Amino acid sequence: MDGVERLFNEIVKDYSERVYWHVRRFVNNHEDADDLVQEIFLKIWTALPSFRGEAQLFTWIWRIATNETLNWIRREKVRAALRFASIDAEMERRIDSDPFFDGDAADRALSKAVAKLPEKQRQVFILRYYDEMPYEQMSEVLGTSVGALKASYHIAQEKVRAALGKDLFVGDD
Amino acid sequence: MSRRNDISTPEGYFGDLQKRLSEIPARPARVSTVHRLAPYVAIAASFLVAVMLGNSILRKTATPAEDDTWSYISYLADALDPDGASLVDWEMDEEESGLSEEDIINYLLADGISVEHLNYLSYEAAY
Repeated sequence: MDGVERLFNEIVKDYSERVYWHVRRFVNNHEDADDLVQEIFLKIWTALPSFRGEAQLFTWIWRIATNETLNWIRREKVRAALRFASIDAEMERRIDSDPFFDGDAADRALSKAVAKLPEKQRQVFILRYYDEMPYEQMSEVLGTSVGALKASYHIAQEKVRAALGKDLFVGDD
Repeated sequence: MSRRNDISTPEGYFGDLQKRLSEIPARPARVSTVHRLAPYVAIAASFLVAVMLGNSILRKTATPAEDDTWSYISYLADALDPDGASLVDWEMDEEESGLSEEDIINYLLADGISVEHLNYLSYEAAY
């Protein structure tokens, strides 16, 4: 086993579960999350020999993960459009039919509200609210200033609150 | 409302996932169609660039008096033959070429050109 393979196996051990949860929040379905995680790690393996260490390994991995997830969302939008369906309706259907969704009605409503957020706001919301990533790390991963991320998260929370009602979603303000 | 406990995975999923992911390095590398065709596209592109460059250089160095193909070819032929013995002799007379005007007319008639068309062409040439 060479150095690159050893490093890859370390990455799998340290990051696969975390990447899975992040991806799962986006795709709202276990099977698709599983496929997408494999795609992300295949990409990581392919790009690993060119990893020069200018960015931290964590940041580099999360950039790949978030980019691949956004690409998946865009592909899914096109697929939905070709079926003359809306991506929002498709996401709601996934949340309702996911056999590994164990939450209550409020959790389900929150997932649906998050799925309706615009791509970038959803990305920020998931990284901050579910993945609990500090703003500084988010800034490195997404290449956006901390101030802009805070503003984006605030707007996303307001939209979720408006969809659920203040009693159901408190948020992080 | 929990942040993580509302979704779950099948039993033992992460152990299985890690096993599958750690098998990625052993998989044969997939070569996409784009990568397979890349060398051929590169050769074709470099050939095209060479042709365009050559054409551009020739056009810049050659300054034909008239911008028509024949004078351009004539100019190139003269440029290629600095001793003056042109590769294309435009002024061959009947004796040198061994062709009379009648031979040419007969050839054109045999080639399907009508007498009327020939008359028109000779009229055009005269005026």
